[in-house]
Amino acid sequence: MGNVDELEALLRPPELEMPPYPPKVITLASGEKMVVRQIDREEVPTLLEAIYPLLWVERDYYDIVSARLFGELLAYKRYRVKNEYVLVGLIDGVLAGMVNGHLVDEKVGMSYHTMTIRRGLRVGSHLFAAKMEYHMEFLNQEEVLIVAESPIGFRRWMIEYPLQKKYEVPHELGGGPSWVLTKKTYLAAKPRLVSGSRPVPPELLAGAQTIVLPEEETVKAQVLGGKGGGK
Amino acid sequence: MRPVAVIGAGMTKFGRSEWPLLKLMNVASLAALRDANLGDVKVDGVVVANMGAARLNKQTALASALADSLNLLPAMAESVENGPASGASAFKIGYQAIASRMADVVLVTGVEMMRAVNNLEATDFVASLTHPEAEYIYGVTLPALAGMFARLYMERYGITREHLAMVAIKNHANAMKNPYAHIHQTVTMEGILTAPEAVVNNPPIAEPLHMFDCCPVSDGAAAVVLATQEIAEKLGRPIVRVAGIGQATDTHAVHERPDPTELTAVRLAAQRAFAMAGLSAQDIDVAELHDAFTILEIAESEEVGFFKKGEGHKALAAGVTSLVGKLPINPSGGLKAKGHPVGATGVAQLVELTWQLRGEAGERQVESAKNAFACNFGGFGNNVVATVLTREG
Amino acid sequence: MDEKVYGARCKDCGKETYPVHARCPECGSEALEPIEITGEGKVLTYTDLYALPLDYERRYLRLAIVELDSGLRATGQLLDEKPKIGKRVKTTIGVVRQSGDRKIHGLRFVPV
Repeated sequence: MGNVDELEALLRPPELEMPPYPPKVITLASGEKMVVRQIDREEVPTLLEAIYPLLWVERDYYDIVSARLFGELLAYKRYRVKNEYVLVGLIDGVLAGMVNGHLVDEKVGMSYHTMTIRRGLRVGSHLFAAKMEYHMEFLNQEEVLIVAESPIGFRRWMIEYPLQKKYEVPHELGGGPSWVLTKKTYLAAKPRLVSGSRPVPPELLAGAQTIVLPEEETVKAQVLGGKGGGK
Repeated sequence: MRPVAVIGAGMTKFGRSEWPLLKLMNVASLAALRDANLGDVKVDGVVVANMGAARLNKQTALASALADSLNLLPAMAESVENGPASGASAFKIGYQAIASRMADVVLVTGVEMMRAVNNLEATDFVASLTHPEAEYIYGVTLPALAGMFARLYMERYGITREHLAMVAIKNHANAMKNPYAHIHQTVTMEGILTAPEAVVNNPPIAEPLHMFDCCPVSDGAAAVVLATQEIAEKLGRPIVRVAGIGQATDTHAVHERPDPTELTAVRLAAQRAFAMAGLSAQDIDVAELHDAFTILEIAESEEVGFFKKGEGHKALAAGVTSLVGKLPINPSGGLKAKGHPVGATGVAQLVELTWQLRGEAGERQVESAKNAFACNFGGFGNNVVATVLTREG
Repeated sequence: MDEKVYGARCKDCGKETYPVHARCPECGSEALEPIEITGEGKVLTYTDLYALPLDYERRYLRLAIVELDSGLRATGQLLDEKPKIGKRVKTTIGVVRQSGDRKIHGLRFVPV
């Protein structure tokens, strides 16, 4: 029987060098400031708590995105995915959304998921762009493979960046055909799709140190866009 | 023609509904009926305003369904379709039934469930009101028509994107005080226009119009109960009388209008409504205008006669049309923030104005409102219905 | 493909219109004959439409209302990298929408 530490080392994928994501601050349509920063492994349980209620929300594919994201967050925490990262958007410290992905190799990245908790302020667009910014500008990659669960959501990115087909590469999430964002396209799209400023002013950064979860009712109300149709 | 009053008003929260279409109608209708406190008095007619149920929800004959659901049989009933002006048209038809003595009490309910389909389908559905050969085939949508209108209007009268943003900011702020509004979110000039991030926060939709210049896609229902003055007088509360209604049509293809910056149907509809009411635009204390696009609130405020042509944006900038200004426009939050379930909108405008005239508008209350005006804009201004309501007593 | 766009001329009073109405908007006559919508004109207004309806898979669509030299106006797609109000354009016919397999032809304005 092998040494547990040796087995653990075997079960952990080999890690590439991965500079951290430098936090930035984004002014949203409401005038509120959202800090975008990377998390570390200790913060995973907080995020799991946030998405847990969404596991059964069928609308807008929240259920499958939450379920897969839940697994990916645990895999990140337990060192079972190669070079995974998670970025969060925090407004006054409160979780507004999260994105994740990982590195396939030095040149190729893979986008996993985008989850928006606070709707109506393009948080998802900002965070997805932050992900692409991380791969292209801080991890020096050449391309990012992308796929999505929601056809409507995906169509928007497909057309907006735009993305190119790379059908020969099956995406890890289910094996469907991949789409790719190339560095060239990213740089051309950057002025209209990527925003925010660095460094984050110290008091804002301090306020974003601890992830505060919104009330579960608030999350449900945001995600469902209002409970039922009545008052 | 005998006088007609609004004796009951109610609506659902606008936004995203999980309810079936019938339930949406029922909830708004019951709220209005409860408010009307009819007792033993019977409802003689039901008019339903709706534009897309046949396509979006695969349902037709809504008024018949509603009359049955509410146990109002054997009342008269029909549905009215006038695009985004369905609501005010349904109100007009209810009014006509009572004024002509064909009915004493009519329930008017507007409803739309747009979020039953995805955004592409919803956009295409609304685009079905454009001219099929001269506009629709080109990919023209209502925002596209509004964008072309806005470009010309802004250039001619010196309106800037900042002015358009002021409309959005004002209406979002008003909606924060409206529990029925779809969107409860403050927006700032920095966030939607001046910050570098605004390019992502407020992306273009149909330039020069951006996301925060366009109303959301909403589900919702609103209802009023109309009755004779006699019945209204027995209720012991201020009477909201229908003082005037005016309607006018204009060319279907927008490019056929002699001056594409003129909203002739808005002007004529308002003139007719004021003439019938024996009032002028200057007598109005509060108004709900059809701001499906921010530019339209400005343009309509001029065409209906509140401000001279080309001066509407100045009044806006000076705060005249804010909730605490001399002539509050869209105290409900307008279509922009209250939401725009197409068939319900015209009725919802009149629900808000009824509350305003009765002093029941809570935090949105406009002081001493006596005369109120609504403009419901169908198509892209090719069918407009204007309504004047007056408080008596 | 010889797809053309047609307006109408009133045989009684000569008034030309586009699109076609059932009766002449000027004199009410039903005696209408088709006229081809073609020629040069100037851009009255335009927009870049990003929120596209079904059938389009592009980032945006440039649309315009053009006033032809004949006095008639038309709505169509504008194929011009540098659009400007007042700029001279001319009409061409091309595919403006594809609904499934069905190709729909219409006006596409290009700079003169």
